[in-house]
Amino acid sequence: MVFTTAINFVRARGPDEFWRKRKIFKLSAHFVGRKRNCYSIAIRYVHRALAYATKGRKLRKIDMANLWETRVRAGCEQHNINYDTFREGLVRSDILLNRKTLADLSCWEPYTFKSLTDIAKRRALDDGLAGISSDNKLDGIITKGCLNRNK
Amino acid sequence: MSALKRVQQWATFARVWHIYDASWQNPFKSAELLKKYLMGLHKPIYHPMNDCGDHVIVINSGDIALPGDEWKRRVYFHHTGYPGGATWTLAWELHSKDPTMVLRKAVYNSMDGNLQRRYTMERLHLFPDANVPTNLLKNVSNQIQQLKAKPKRLDHYSENQVKQFPKIFDYPKDYILK
Amino acid sequence: MSLFKPTFSVLRRCVALNVSIRTSESRSIKRWVAPTLKELYRRREKVGPEPEKPRSSYLEWNYEAEVFAFGKRLGEEFDRDILKKALIQKEYANIQEIKAKETGQNLPTITDNYELIPEGDGIISSYVMTELSKKYPEDIAKAVTNYLTSEEMLSYIASHIGLKDLILTNEFPVANSTLCNTFKAVVAALKQSQNLAQAEKFIHDFVLSQLNGKNVYEIWDPKEPYKYLTRLLHQRGIKEIEPRLCNQSASNTVLACFQVGLYSNRELLGIGWGESVHIAKDTAALDAIQRVYKNYTTQLENK
Repeated sequence: MVFTTAINFVRARGPDEFWRKRKIFKLSAHFVGRKRNCYSIAIRYVHRALAYATKGRKLRKIDMANLWETRVRAGCEQHNINYDTFREGLVRSDILLNRKTLADLSCWEPYTFKSLTDIAKRRALDDGLAGISSDNKLDGIITKGCLNRNK
Repeated sequence: MSALKRVQQWATFARVWHIYDASWQNPFKSAELLKKYLMGLHKPIYHPMNDCGDHVIVINSGDIALPGDEWKRRVYFHHTGYPGGATWTLAWELHSKDPTMVLRKAVYNSMDGNLQRRYTMERLHLFPDANVPTNLLKNVSNQIQQLKAKPKRLDHYSENQVKQFPKIFDYPKDYILK
Repeated sequence: MSLFKPTFSVLRRCVALNVSIRTSESRSIKRWVAPTLKELYRRREKVGPEPEKPRSSYLEWNYEAEVFAFGKRLGEEFDRDILKKALIQKEYANIQEIKAKETGQNLPTITDNYELIPEGDGIISSYVMTELSKKYPEDIAKAVTNYLTSEEMLSYIASHIGLKDLILTNEFPVANSTLCNTFKAVVAALKQSQNLAQAEKFIHDFVLSQLNGKNVYEIWDPKEPYKYLTRLLHQRGIKEIEPRLCNQSASNTVLACFQVGLYSNRELLGIGWGESVHIAKDTAALDAIQRVYKNYTTQLENK
């Protein structure tokens, strides 16, 4: 039998919205309250969360750099040297360590960090940088560069 | 974790008690110095979530020295919340009422205004003079160096020291002082 | 079906319509998939978790091939019969015999690993002890040997080699003690198949390598470190130890920290920290012991 009218009652429905909504609920699983389970509320907060995540990637880099700088400042203070003088002294001695490495060294390798501050102090004194005066006892610190300069 | 690693962790995060003599010091500059120790910014292991701040005992906070005519000019505003509850208190008035308040407010205002601030302020112990309870003094293991050396009064020098002090010039012998 | 994981492709509708209705094709996930999966999940939860079954009850299990592959996988030449003997538990062998008697069949005598276990145990203990004694003093070597030859450790090694599927036992899941015993039996089987040297290499590769990344002083802990240290130093000729309080902070508070140093004749033996002076002294003693033993190998070489 051929039913020619039946075909007119067949409606094309869209894809199952379960799967589209599931993608959102996966991201909102750790939210609190209706934001977790109700789609029209969750979608707003999920979009916000994704936007925060995008912006946060840049902010994280800035925050980490600031934290490292704070730690290096603390380490410098322990060795009686100014942070800016320290960085300048290291750069002039061709020691191009970044804030992350310096922070890790100041926490975990105290003797290495002390030797870095010594190098920076020596260079700062030789070059006449503002942060160091010859009051600091720097006679014991001799670097290869300082010997060449004094020649 | 072996016992040695455990105690190494304990020693790294141990809380240190510092003592600071605030006599003849500028409270606002002292505040910048003290807040570092209170927040733990003097430690290379610093992190805001680390709870690595130390205790600071400040003595002689009644003898602080404000610069210039700050004593007369600086006002502290307070509002009780009720209508007509605004008060403007001058620094010298506040100091006579409570000698520790000027320094306490200076430290409070020098910190970042986050939720940690109130808890960090709990670690600051201010005393108007040098009388500190002995149980607190027993904890102290470091002294923070003063920013400015305390000047000595002229009548506290011995006669010999005054006589031997090098003079740039002296009054002529026939000069009569009024 | 025990490993039934419904995916979109498993459930296929049988299209058995005689009448052809032309519908537009949609490539997306069909509307019936989600409710079907939900229903299946509900039913699975209702029934409860699947009981764990041994690998031998699943498809594609060839015991002979697995036993052969076991040896090859480890790179060792095993005598097939001895290895099989090492993998059969005594209780299992007994039950097989009883079954055989009941049914009246005469099966060949099933040997078990009962004699191989103590032999293997001896080989492992003695080899580990000798190897560690080369590097560490007797106390530490003993403690570490106990740790390495403990039931927990050997059963861990055995299960990760693949013995869990090969062992023939009555119980399931295989008990730790059985795994441990079978490992010992396998070592003995290796020694019998080849020689003691090969078995020792095997123990070196599988048992001693568990020390990788581990600090020996986490395994060994002297009960009273200060007394131990005094005894140790007496042997080396140092009679007097002077403990001194080096540093302290926040001594009146809960977070007190004391630093104690142990000196003998103005020379530093060890430093330790602690919540109280007593704990700090103990940790200083531990540090001193570790410093003494750090040079142990060089001392042995110099001898």
